[in-house]
Amino acid sequence: MKTITVAIAGNPNSGKSTLINAIAGTNLQVGNWPGVTVEKKTATLKIDDLIINLVDLPGTYSLSPYTQEEVIARDFLVREKPDLIIDVVDSTNLERNLYLTVQLLELGIPIILALNIYDEAKKKGYEFDIEKLQELLGIRVIPTVATKKEGIKEILNAIKDFAYGFYNITPKKINYGEDIESSIKAIEENLKVTNPLLLSKYPSRWLALKLIEGDELVMKEVDLIGDETFLQEAKSHLFKSHDEDIESMLADIRYGIANGVTRDVLKKKDGKRVDFTEKIDRIVLNRYLGIPIFLFAMWFVFKFAFDFSAPFSDWIDTTISGPVTKWTFHALTVVGSPQWVISLLTEGVIAGVGAVLVFIPVIAVMMFIITLLEGSGYMARVAFVMDRLMHSIGLHGKSFIPMLLGFGCNVPSIYATRVLETERDRKLTALLVPLMSCGARLPVYVIFIGAFFSDHAPTVLWSLYVLGIFMAIALGFILKKTLYKGFAPVFIMELPPYRVPVFRDLMIHTWQKLKHFVIKAGTYIFAVSVIMWFLLNTPYGVEKENSALGRIGKTISPVFEPLGFGTWEASSSLVAGLIAKEVVVSTMAQIYVKEEVEEEKEGVDKEKGFIDDLKDAFLSFGFAIRDAIENLISGFGIKSLSANEEEEQRPLKSKLQGIFTPLTAYAFLAFVLLYWPCVVVGIAMKQEFGSWKLYGQALVIHSLLAWFVAFAIYQGGRILGF
Amino acid sequence: MDIMDIAVAGVIFIGAVYILYRSIWKKKGHCSGCNGCCSKTKDKFLL
Repeated sequence: MKTITVAIAGNPNSGKSTLINAIAGTNLQVGNWPGVTVEKKTATLKIDDLIINLVDLPGTYSLSPYTQEEVIARDFLVREKPDLIIDVVDSTNLERNLYLTVQLLELGIPIILALNIYDEAKKKGYEFDIEKLQELLGIRVIPTVATKKEGIKEILNAIKDFAYGFYNITPKKINYGEDIESSIKAIEENLKVTNPLLLSKYPSRWLALKLIEGDELVMKEVDLIGDETFLQEAKSHLFKSHDEDIESMLADIRYGIANGVTRDVLKKKDGKRVDFTEKIDRIVLNRYLGIPIFLFAMWFVFKFAFDFSAPFSDWIDTTISGPVTKWTFHALTVVGSPQWVISLLTEGVIAGVGAVLVFIPVIAVMMFIITLLEGSGYMARVAFVMDRLMHSIGLHGKSFIPMLLGFGCNVPSIYATRVLETERDRKLTALLVPLMSCGARLPVYVIFIGAFFSDHAPTVLWSLYVLGIFMAIALGFILKKTLYKGFAPVFIMELPPYRVPVFRDLMIHTWQKLKHFVIKAGTYIFAVSVIMWFLLNTPYGVEKENSALGRIGKTISPVFEPLGFGTWEASSSLVAGLIAKEVVVSTMAQIYVKEEVEEEKEGVDKEKGFIDDLKDAFLSFGFAIRDAIENLISGFGIKSLSANEEEEQRPLKSKLQGIFTPLTAYAFLAFVLLYWPCVVVGIAMKQEFGSWKLYGQALVIHSLLAWFVAFAIYQGGRILGF
Repeated sequence: MDIMDIAVAGVIFIGAVYILYRSIWKKKGHCSGCNGCCSKTKDKFLL
């Protein structure tokens, strides 16, 4: 059995993760924007008796040590010395991609160049001389369309041929000119004598080049300080001959080679054809229209999500609070379970977990649309459009990418701050990320919006997301003047062409995002529901108000009094939300569930049998599909949430209507949006920044911000007569 | 509730606390996209 390691390298957004998914059948995250892969990821593939370890490296434009992705990619290539590199190149942008290829050649590792997105290049009228490209660089070149799995078989065959020695790949050495070449040679010779161990660890030519460039990380790694005689001699000779910074000079040569090779192997059709991407970008990136279009797109997303998911949410709610609760109670009674076990399962687990499961359809639709926007290339435009606003808070548009990811879940957004260059940018962005409204907050919004704002549901939901973005910008502005002073670097970002995402990829990545919420419901929402039930029933048999949770709630409720929701129920739910934001709803469901369960218990004897309930559940699911389609077709969701007004109200909704007013409900929603980030975000911050300090700052800053904003909404609303 | 009930309730409570600890601390909230390693072995015979 033979094993080889193959590294997949390439520019951001050239389709590396899509290619590795196509080769190995894995489900690595892909998106039509740069920076989706910030860590190296691996997949293992077995072909006959050959084991191929594929390593997906972060996308980089070069192998210089300026960003974390570049360092990760470079470290792997230099230290782990893979047997082969698959260099994924965007063929619609050959010249820029070849800059990295030239640097990869310096490592001396055999390369298979995947000329990816070949179909789009062909559509643009590009003609490639593949034989010539192979000959010029001494590598193997294979055209691919990773999204359509074209060229994958050829890549696998090429790997196999290489592994068994049927096809040799010997990368050409780049000639940097006589002066530089003699300096490289001198350094290599010197190292052979003074540091032979180093040459067994690193590729000698690459090491010499990095020492000439004065690469700080390499100097540190090889324990040289830069004033060694042989290095000084080589550098001063070059400086005297060229009177130019050596790093810039080498970069110019590499660009020159990339340019020359491109001119030799690529022929473009003449004519200034304005392509589809340019046409759309003229509108979407317009100085005045860009932000309004983004805001409208968000509103459209929420309307679609509400209209399509509402019937399914109703179905899940009716099924869980009806037959599931009823028959669980019945089954437990028949087997003679103690009263407390029945209560734990029906009023604790089913009510708590069920309250979160009800919102899975709306989260699914939201995640689908977010994935669609990511894959289409629109999200990259949003970062570009937001650049000017982000500059006002001392950050640049690139910081908006982790923040946009935060609409799904804040936790991966904290890790995604790695795409940023400076520690200050990373910390400031990580502090602002939790203000982006994650999917976990949706259940809280949907239940309150359904109870109080059903006629304007998409608009109210949209206002909360916009409030989150606005508060992030405002908080960023304050932090830039106080804790995180500094200037914003210039933002250069590649805008990928618009693409129609592959449906299979779309479904896989929607599921990956949604799976997170389903697993959460089955694990820690379940665990929290059990713990909350104990807190609500300790001491056993007392009124909920006098239970342990009730007492905790009552103790802290005065803090929320000026915000309009100073009840023990709201206070204890908010505290529980520190674990995860969905827990706010599941705790409320447990607190208010008592009467509902009593009604279900009485219903067991009088109402339908199990088979009838099962039939009803299937039938009502059919009706839910019909209603969802009708909602979309008939006036684009005129029915929406208000359609349910004449139907039976959700018990939790009607309870909330008796306790909150529309004004206090909105203040509560604003508080949930802005208050402390959940503990998992804290753990992510600890892992990324090495201490709990940043999470401590986030807890204090966000809690104060949430309190003042909710206070302003409630007190302001009262003054205005709401 | 008798002693037996209290013992069973205690076990359930500790179990719930353990699931919570494991999910949040060890599994990073089951966060998708946070795990750097997505190793998967797949056999391919048709080439």
